Amino acid sequence: MNDIDPALDLRARRTDPIHEELAEIERTWLSPPGFFGWFTHVNHTSIGLRFLVTSFAFFLIAGLLGLAMRLQLVTPLNDFLGPETYNQVMTVHGTAMMFLFAIPAVEGVAIYFVPLMIGARDLAFPRLSAFGYYIYLIGGTVFFASLFVGMAPAAGWFNYVPLSGPEYAEGRGVDIWVTMITFIEVSALTAAVELIVSIFKLRAPGMSLNRMPIFVWAALVMAFMIMFAMPSVIVASAMLTMDRLVDTQFFNPDLGGSPLLWQHLFWFFGHPEVYIILVPALGIVTTIVVTFTQRSVFGYTALVLAIVGVGMVSFGLWVHHMYATGLPLLGRSFFQAASSMIAIASGVQIYCWIATMWGARIRFDTPMLFVLGFFAIFVTGGLTGVMVASVPFDRQVHDTYFVVAHFHYVLVGGAVFPLLAGLYYWFPKVTGRMLHERLGKWSCGIAFVGFNLTFFPMHQLGLEGMPRRIYTYLPGLGWDFLNQLATVGAFVLAAGFALTFWNVFRSLRAGDAAPANPWHAPTLEWATTSPPLNCNFAEQIVVRSDQPIWDWERTGRRAVVGGMRIDRRETIVTTLLDARPQSVQILPTPTPWPFYSAVVLSVCFFGLIFSPWFYVAGIFGAFATFVFWFLPRRRSEVI
Amino acid sequence: MIVVGRPDHHDNPRRRQSPARRRLARRWFRAVSAMAAALLLTGCDGPQSVLAPSSEDARLMALLSWWFFGAGALILAVTLGLLVIALSLAWRGGQSRPISFRASMVLVVSGGVVAPALAIVAVTYTGVMIGDETEGADGRSATAPTVEVDGRMWWWEFRYLDKNGAVIAVTANELHLPVGERARLRLTSDNVIHSFWVPNLQGKTDLIPGKDNVLYAQPAVSGVWRGQCAEFCGMQHALMGFVVVAQPRPAYETWLADQAADAAVTSGPGLDAFLNNGCGVCHAIRGTAADGQAGPDLTHLASRATLAAATLPNTRGNLGGWITSTHEVKPGALMPAIAPEPEELQHLLDFLGALK
Amino acid sequence: MTDAAIETEIAVDASGLPRLTPHTHPLWWGVLGAVAIEAAVVANLLTSYFYLMSQSETWPPAGIKPPDPFWATVVLCVLPLSSVTMWWAGRGSDADRKTQLAMGVTASVALASLALVFRWLQFAAFGVRWDEHAYGSILWAITGFHFTHVVSAILGTAVVAVLAWMDYFTSERQLGVVVDTLYWYFVAAVFLPIYLVLYWAPRWL
Repeated sequence: MNDIDPALDLRARRTDPIHEELAEIERTWLSPPGFFGWFTHVNHTSIGLRFLVTSFAFFLIAGLLGLAMRLQLVTPLNDFLGPETYNQVMTVHGTAMMFLFAIPAVEGVAIYFVPLMIGARDLAFPRLSAFGYYIYLIGGTVFFASLFVGMAPAAGWFNYVPLSGPEYAEGRGVDIWVTMITFIEVSALTAAVELIVSIFKLRAPGMSLNRMPIFVWAALVMAFMIMFAMPSVIVASAMLTMDRLVDTQFFNPDLGGSPLLWQHLFWFFGHPEVYIILVPALGIVTTIVVTFTQRSVFGYTALVLAIVGVGMVSFGLWVHHMYATGLPLLGRSFFQAASSMIAIASGVQIYCWIATMWGARIRFDTPMLFVLGFFAIFVTGGLTGVMVASVPFDRQVHDTYFVVAHFHYVLVGGAVFPLLAGLYYWFPKVTGRMLHERLGKWSCGIAFVGFNLTFFPMHQLGLEGMPRRIYTYLPGLGWDFLNQLATVGAFVLAAGFALTFWNVFRSLRAGDAAPANPWHAPTLEWATTSPPLNCNFAEQIVVRSDQPIWDWERTGRRAVVGGMRIDRRETIVTTLLDARPQSVQILPTPTPWPFYSAVVLSVCFFGLIFSPWFYVAGIFGAFATFVFWFLPRRRSEVI
Repeated sequence: MIVVGRPDHHDNPRRRQSPARRRLARRWFRAVSAMAAALLLTGCDGPQSVLAPSSEDARLMALLSWWFFGAGALILAVTLGLLVIALSLAWRGGQSRPISFRASMVLVVSGGVVAPALAIVAVTYTGVMIGDETEGADGRSATAPTVEVDGRMWWWEFRYLDKNGAVIAVTANELHLPVGERARLRLTSDNVIHSFWVPNLQGKTDLIPGKDNVLYAQPAVSGVWRGQCAEFCGMQHALMGFVVVAQPRPAYETWLADQAADAAVTSGPGLDAFLNNGCGVCHAIRGTAADGQAGPDLTHLASRATLAAATLPNTRGNLGGWITSTHEVKPGALMPAIAPEPEELQHLLDFLGALK
Repeated sequence: MTDAAIETEIAVDASGLPRLTPHTHPLWWGVLGAVAIEAAVVANLLTSYFYLMSQSETWPPAGIKPPDPFWATVVLCVLPLSSVTMWWAGRGSDADRKTQLAMGVTASVALASLALVFRWLQFAAFGVRWDEHAYGSILWAITGFHFTHVVSAILGTAVVAVLAWMDYFTSERQLGVVVDTLYWYFVAAVFLPIYLVLYWAPRWL
């Protein structure tokens, strides 16, 4: 298989002749091989895969940090990690999981699969996705590196002032945190704009909004949420940088500032952030439920409304993170009501899935098992979420291990399990190989048991008075046994995840060859080879329903788009609501300028830690690289 | 301990599929029993526990908690039960038997709209009622104490005020309250954000620089409980605890009067050692030349049950260890360790031990 | 994918669809998205201004006066004027009148640069430094934010101007002009809420 260019080897059997037109379009869409070629890739499959691989690598590191925390807390007054180290480890664990794993992972799934699901050849701004990836890679790598040189932030993942301000956080740790935020927000915002535009304008003809896969709706809502939530943390982090770098007084109460301003700005972002992570994961759940029941999902409209509802309502909840700050009870009560309301949007989705599954012949393969694990864990987490929405209850459990339990239930249950389900589901499509099924089932079972063993006891620990973010605790408070249980559970959980990592490793080389549609799924990403053709689809597809592949099988007919050029990169542009053909977008070819821009901007972002002049350098440096990025090389390429 | 479901080789389609189902059910059962065992083996009471209320405020919150847990368990059981039923139905006939549109609507509307709506109403109503009750000053008598709680890094200063707002007594890390009276705590900080939390008595409220918050605490019985800082405040956040002692009114007044008085010992080699080692720069001992404000007031150190923000029991040995090896007990503490001569240390410990 | 049992028909012929669509190109939507993000940032900044105001007993703090509105009001007139010249340039581009395009964008660059000079003159008259009080901090931050965006708009439009003088664009091939114009309108228009908040809110509220 290695002696022929894989892009050209598209035949059903090795003895079939190669279709010359297909070979030519594949050459047009080829991502250059080799070391230097790697820096010029712009195809969404290439970039999406990079987001996924990098995010899972960061997940592994952040997970190991979590294990270190559990080792420290296994007995009272342990000295495995001293307070300074522990505070850095816990900050990096939380920050990395939220910013360097969860968001990029769901972004990566969207970047890879949204164009395939909507029948497009690529995203609308391929160079922008590449740029967003390099920014993420550089920012994330430097952030982790800071831990190994003892310069990591240590003020918790939400970095409250004044603890993180110039007076109490010495050294560069908090500056590293703020800079990493800047990187991630740029990366996420570029992905968000791109996803929205692609979903609105690049859908295959006939894919009206109500024929879009639910996952695409979820990606769309996620993208809008990113667009409106991230600016808040941009402003907060800019203010903190300014306080630390040029002595502004935004958060200094002695000179007119307010520590609560940070909390409001951060949580206005922070609460939608967790739903940004959750919403696409719920989209993955719908996808898998549909495929593994071989049925249309029940309540397409209700699900879409629920997803949009989650997205919108989530912006009105942020004060529930601030119930203990002494804000007036009336205001807090409003947020109490709003926070519990999200239960409706979540409940509708849960029951639509149950209705879909009711009486179906279910294929209990690993993706489905992870989805079932999601059900058990996420519903539990959602229920404790409604509990902490209550002001008086939360005033007892806020900032305790009860909350730690709650958010791990909703994030691991609601995001990690669906992501793993998606991994097992889509691995064949991305790599052309199946993951080992038995290993997958073991991984799921062990992870499920390990997860509950780790985090369920934490509910009780919180109720027994154990606060969050403590590097140690005194003996005699009754916390010892539950902490031991949690630590043991953490290793079981790690073993469960490790089995999947091993599965991936092993299957990349020795897994069974995957056909184009091993699960008999209905959506368009399965209508291409495994892995996808460079151009995604030899001919772009015209759809007539929300289950195109099942339609083709039923009717024996398939409609496609003709007349697209094969000597340059093109994808069809359609109208927003009904996806009627409108124009054709010419897409850029591989280029290293996104990489150069990312490097220049990275230097300036990091330089800002040391001198405000990098702000000016950043503006002009970015401008210069953008000119080269956008400037067409020939008149005939001007659009 | 993991039991693998053995593949069943019968031809019956139902039996052929049940290993997966058995595995799922077994897994869930194991997880639940593990949790139940964990719960039963450890008690719910303790000196720092939400579920062992010693005040009406905490009792309301604990009651709310139990209702929440019960309702939560019920909803979880129903939801997962419906899921299991949904998954198992097809096995009987081997065919896919979809549910009718009507039945699906009933499921989605009752489970996804009606039940959550009921929960929303319950949470909102109880939240407002109990919130109002526990955060208000209702029923506060004229004699109930007012205490300024000042959060420091990483200890607690308590300043008792009289009716006109003047300071009667200053102490640290141990708060005494009269039983049955609704004490008013003014929470302040001039450094970073802390949070005052004594779960057996009240919910927590933050101490935020620039914002003075008020918290009410009304112990219903005599007792001793532990509180702890509940907002990450830096290196030694983990060991920033305090003790709350509720006493009948007469005992409380005696205690307060004792705390208001000057030190029991105001001269001698111990005091000299104290001043010579620079302790007076940070610590105050009223009636002597030591008047530092940066660290806890030590005027009545010997009357306290604990040291170092409720980290160590107050014994002579622990005090010696705390003074000479401060950073082994609390790495990062702002108090420098001192190394006095052995004889000097004994005088110092004698002196401090006499400050009742 | 190469399933012999499924018959394939061509339902859409894309050879007749336009490839050059400067006014409806996806990039137009992309820049609109960027504008939405920037608008959200401004909304956060202005809300923070009001929040800090609400936490202060006097605003501006004692001894400091609200900034003098004269030069800012001049800028409030100059920036829309620069939008008009941009609009005029766009019309020229749509009608293949290259000179109109080139002159229009050049005029916009000149006007915006003038506006920046006026803003710069005013900085000295703010009467408070960014490190003296949160009032100064937010005043300078919002001002600096807008200033930066005018600079970026000028830089981008300067490139467009150079290319326009070089006859780079036609009425079909003018996506760069269209998206630059869109961004310009935003940068000019967003000055209005900023102006009202910084110069008049402390006087009226």
